[in-house]
Amino acid sequence: MIGDAERFLLVGAGLFILGAIGFLTRRNLILMVLSAELMLHGVSLTLVTFGRLHQTQEGQAFTIFTLTVAACEAGLALSLVLALYRRTHSLDVWLWSDLGESDVPRPEIDSRHIPVATGYENIPKLTPAGIAPKEPPRSSPPVATNASRT
Amino acid sequence: MSDWLQAHPLTVVGLVLWGAGLLWLMPGRDDSPARSKTLGILNAAIGLVLWCVSLGGSRSELGDEIMFWVFGVGALLSGVLMISARNPVYAALWFALATLSTCGLFLLQSAPFLAAATVIVYAGAVIVTFLFVIMLAQQSGAASYDRRAVQPVTMTLLAFVLLGAIAYTIQSQPVVAIDNSGVATGIVSGNPLSQVDEKHPVGNLQGLGRSLFGDYLFAVELAGTLLLVACIGAIAIAPRREQGAL
Repeated sequence: MIGDAERFLLVGAGLFILGAIGFLTRRNLILMVLSAELMLHGVSLTLVTFGRLHQTQEGQAFTIFTLTVAACEAGLALSLVLALYRRTHSLDVWLWSDLGESDVPRPEIDSRHIPVATGYENIPKLTPAGIAPKEPPRSSPPVATNASRT
Repeated sequence: MSDWLQAHPLTVVGLVLWGAGLLWLMPGRDDSPARSKTLGILNAAIGLVLWCVSLGGSRSELGDEIMFWVFGVGALLSGVLMISARNPVYAALWFALATLSTCGLFLLQSAPFLAAATVIVYAGAVIVTFLFVIMLAQQSGAASYDRRAVQPVTMTLLAFVLLGAIAYTIQSQPVVAIDNSGVATGIVSGNPLSQVDEKHPVGNLQGLGRSLFGDYLFAVELAGTLLLVACIGAIAIAPRREQGAL
């Protein structure tokens, strides 16, 4: 049972190598992300094999963390792919290989006007403690004058 | 190193055949139908089988053998077909098959919870997300950047040299294990969290829970925070509808 750990280790190494080849040879953004996920599969297999070899639970526990990080990475990578696709309408990664091309317009800095919150000019001040004023509440806060105190 | 080459001829032959099959399948300059895909798959499969035969190891019982062959060769073959697919949808589906084969390999190593979690997360969520993104970001026909691979010969050669180096490293030294009594053959780790537990052997789910939420509780909390941050990031980065149609 323990002796055939070599085969699992080498299958994991093979998956990792295949993912590396796919990442380096393809130009499609989605294929590159898929190849990175394949590399993570290989590493998970190696982790589980070593965990079984040393008979601790750490291999499987760390693989769960790898799974979590892979899911986060896939989500973020795919939203990045969508954002990049929106700009060039292509999934080619070579379009982004040079920074500052002459024919592509520079990306504008996101300068949306962030509205300042209004209505806070008349911050109500605390009226001094005492007898309540007789007049009804107005839009402007009551100014603490001596006349309001009886 | 030369004695390793003489002792394991099948490894090198299998690696060469596998690399040749992979190169045959890669999208190349002349994409004529004369380059048959069946030949490439056959070549890669034969190389894979030879390579797995050369891996050696003790012959366990027949069921385990068959399962390892099915899942191991299936995972590697699905990987080969995934990275050489011209259509990204096909690549995503081959990746689903590679994920299922990896789950089978997890099951063979007494990690049933991990197999179920991988199927749910990867084959259930990640691949579906990939297919949605492919659907949103697709081209009208076959794209020009899918037709040719970037320096496939160099990359395959280098990567297979690396795989040969890994095979040499693993096969030239015996993989040492801790036997059941916990007495290590020199590999006892000083880490107090990484000791052999007789009450919860490796396949036990209770032991995995104890390790995960007992020893590594901080990492679990961090993983939850990471998931939250990734969720917020994905919502923030993805383009919105009023910014223009995709």
